[in-house]
Amino acid sequence: MSLHIVVCLKPVPDPDCYDQVTIDPNTKRIVRENIPMVINAVDKVALEEALQLRDAFGGKVTVVTMSLPSAKKHLLEALAMGADEGILLTDASFGGADTLATSYTLSKTIQQLGRVDLVLLGNESADGATCQVPSQLGEWLGLPHLWNVFSVEPMDERVFLLKTKYENGHKEWRGELPLVLAVSRELVKPRHISAMGIIKAKNKPIAILNKEGVNDLQEECIGLVGSPTQPGEIMIPDMSRSGERLEGSCEEMGLQILEKIRAGGIVF
Amino acid sequence: MKKIWIYVEEYQGRINKVAFELIAKAKELGDAYLEPVEIGAVLLSNNAADSIEVLELYGVTDVYVGENCRLGEYCHTTYAPVLADLIKEEDPDVFLFGATQVGSELAPTVAARVRTGLAAHCVNLRIDEGGMMVADVPAFGGKIIGEILVPTKRPQMASVKPGVFTAKECGLPQASRIHKINLCALDRVDLRLVPQGTFVANTSVKPIEDADIVLAGGYGLGSQENWQKLVELAELLGGAVGSTRPCLDEGWADSEETMIGTSGKSIRPKVYLGFGISGATHHVCGMKDANLVITVNKDQKAGIFGVSDYYAVSDVNEILPVLIELIKSNKINQYF
Amino acid sequence: MAAVFNFSEEQEMIRAAAREFAETEIAPNAAEWDNQDICPVELWPMLGEIGAAGTFVPEIYGGPGLGHVERAIFLEEISRYSGGLGIALMTHHLPIEAILKFGSEEQKNKYIPDLVSGTKIGGLSVTEPSGGSDFAGQQCSAEKIENGWKLNGRKCFITNAGIADTNVIICKTGEDERGRGILSAFIVEKGNEGLKPGRHENKLGLRGSITGDVLLDNCIIPEDALIGKIGDGTKIGMTAIGEVGRAGMTAICVGLLRGACEDASKFAKERVVGGKPISKQQAIQFELADIRTEYEAAKALLYMAASVKDEGKPATTAFAIAKYYASEASVRGTKRCMDVLGGYGVVNEYAVGRYLRDALASISSGGTSHIQRLIIGGDTLKNF
Repeated sequence: MSLHIVVCLKPVPDPDCYDQVTIDPNTKRIVRENIPMVINAVDKVALEEALQLRDAFGGKVTVVTMSLPSAKKHLLEALAMGADEGILLTDASFGGADTLATSYTLSKTIQQLGRVDLVLLGNESADGATCQVPSQLGEWLGLPHLWNVFSVEPMDERVFLLKTKYENGHKEWRGELPLVLAVSRELVKPRHISAMGIIKAKNKPIAILNKEGVNDLQEECIGLVGSPTQPGEIMIPDMSRSGERLEGSCEEMGLQILEKIRAGGIVF
Repeated sequence: MKKIWIYVEEYQGRINKVAFELIAKAKELGDAYLEPVEIGAVLLSNNAADSIEVLELYGVTDVYVGENCRLGEYCHTTYAPVLADLIKEEDPDVFLFGATQVGSELAPTVAARVRTGLAAHCVNLRIDEGGMMVADVPAFGGKIIGEILVPTKRPQMASVKPGVFTAKECGLPQASRIHKINLCALDRVDLRLVPQGTFVANTSVKPIEDADIVLAGGYGLGSQENWQKLVELAELLGGAVGSTRPCLDEGWADSEETMIGTSGKSIRPKVYLGFGISGATHHVCGMKDANLVITVNKDQKAGIFGVSDYYAVSDVNEILPVLIELIKSNKINQYF
Repeated sequence: MAAVFNFSEEQEMIRAAAREFAETEIAPNAAEWDNQDICPVELWPMLGEIGAAGTFVPEIYGGPGLGHVERAIFLEEISRYSGGLGIALMTHHLPIEAILKFGSEEQKNKYIPDLVSGTKIGGLSVTEPSGGSDFAGQQCSAEKIENGWKLNGRKCFITNAGIADTNVIICKTGEDERGRGILSAFIVEKGNEGLKPGRHENKLGLRGSITGDVLLDNCIIPEDALIGKIGDGTKIGMTAIGEVGRAGMTAICVGLLRGACEDASKFAKERVVGGKPISKQQAIQFELADIRTEYEAAKALLYMAASVKDEGKPATTAFAIAKYYASEASVRGTKRCMDVLGGYGVVNEYAVGRYLRDALASISSGGTSHIQRLIIGGDTLKNF
């Protein structure tokens, strides 16, 4: 059994910095120059799962990202983790894509890779967190897909047993390859990158594709033009309250807290 | 006539209450048009009768029902083609989904099938002067709210997390027009993905969004032992325990379902108590609509204080035992 | 000395990977290891996986095939959070160097792969009660017996004592015509009869590593436990400590300096006194400038010396200069950080106290500052 697994990665601004994000009052756009970009954390979970499946069954892991040219370094990181080859989709006309246009562009790229057995993605990105790309990618590819997978068990060459999580339980599924799976962070712990992996990454191929590099790409389906959702105004919400500080000893403050809880309508 | 629809997530006769919240919002959106609108509930089930009765209590004008034994267990390979066919036939203007775990998969699948736009996990919806739906969508962990519109494609789709809007029963049940959904799509179902068995429930978890008082513990608690104090206090107050990501990672909180925040639950209890919570935006977004917010943190610069009604700068591990003792010893009743 | 030094793209990636490892696996636990004085031996296989346990070992023995620059990067990143783990790891590298440079093919194939993978932990025993700086004065004896050697004596202040699986131990095998000791190097495996751990020192700093006695009590080892020839002990020990040990301690001190720089800067921006952060005060900026300058200087000396060694040239004096400077500077820098933190610096919730203790403990390891000055002085007289 040999698997060709494609993993879609998204570079996102480092979530540790989100509380410091500001909006430029002149351009009305988000100021992100001082925020470093990292690979979306749960995408690394998807990559780790892909690597483990490849190591167990043989095959190849291809990482794909649609981003700015600077994303090449994130592909290198993925190669250092153990992926076999990388594809960077970068073109001005891809810009402004919503989830439908993004998943369309990814699907056309994946379709020209020949046989693909699994497409893995993280279940949501730290910045947008729409959770939509994996399902829509599955639809564009015409493949069954599952969102929020926390267990992947290959049964045989072409059949996997999968589990997805819900608010108060889970479901089990039988899926035939090829499949698109959006994984949850609890699926597996990603490995640390090793020095050996970094050295090997140097010699692994990275293809950089603009829109001409993707076959059958329809202009009206990509980028801002291909996006049925369009952005409007952005703002930073004000969630502040006029906090009143409680004073006194621990016991005094404790009493005040309990008094307020009672006043808030809780009986105890 | 404008059609504003909501998707009803139902399983074994129980409707996910986000549907009622969406109906209330749909009616509000409908009021913005100066013409009669259809408020439609779309329900796929293997046994719809009871659910239809319940929906009528909330004032929907129309119910679209797909009833078939193959719709008893949710699977996007059956549900999505049916919904896509329905949309093509009926051409609704707006279609709202709960951003539940099911909705987070089903809504984008349907949106892709009909090539329309979907605004994800919105925190507000309104109709603008041009009659278009405007969705407020959080990004960057909720630090930024951006407007999203679907200018040309139809339906304008949006998903909304449970607990964001408020349900309103309309008093007298109102008979709705019942439409039977065309289920031809079930004859062409993709069998490459099939549910195995039925939904496996995890009954031990009490949903925190139902609790009147939620005690949220943060990394500042420091240890499993201290976490247990929080659990004890919650029991004494009859409340639920909420958590943050680091506490789950440490293994103190036992379930993802207790996590409050943009990636977790949105709650609006009567009282939110935060212990050792720093106040990162992504957490605050999940509790900002609580009626009363009281927090304790030993860091005087903790951001959570800026979103609290009352706060104490104190070591949580000193205050927790004090609170427990005050309740157990009945000392509080001596004071008020 | 080498020409202008710049990190390559791979070296920057290695640094990023090492930093990510340190932030996830080490930073959350360093205070605990310091508190309890335990060495996290369970991390060794992970250190092996990321390439930190045998960075400079060639691929034929299972290593990453990198050099001493990359080794220093790992040690700097790890020590920024735990100087104790830093010295435990750098000590683990010393027997690897000894066996790699001077061992037979059999010895290399037998011991190196496990040390590189982190399956086994390494140790090097030189110092004795007669004095660590008195290398030639070692008294532990190795008596030739039939089919082997019998070792007796006591080594002290040995890092990884009792936890090392593969120990390289220097012993006296005889005396020359002038009565000076002839020293030889032996490999002794943990569990070998007669090899015993002794007292465990309760250290001021670099906790997160075990330091203590290694006792040899009629410890019988086979013939092929000898590394190289009789009399090679001085060369082997000095090579291991001289460059690799010294380089390791320097990297640890550079890590501590960076920790001091980062923590002082972060605190200064957050600590509000009189309505504004103390970072606005020039006095605080001067302190930060001094910590920063010494950090950059120590870093430059370290990586310059490491790149000279990677070019295959002798780097003993370069490392002596780097170690002398970096260790003394790390004491000054961590003390300055403590000054910036004021009262908070003395509270154990803040790491700076640990950084200062680690810096102080670094001076006497891998050659004291006075020993380094002897080396530097001697080289200066020769070449200037």
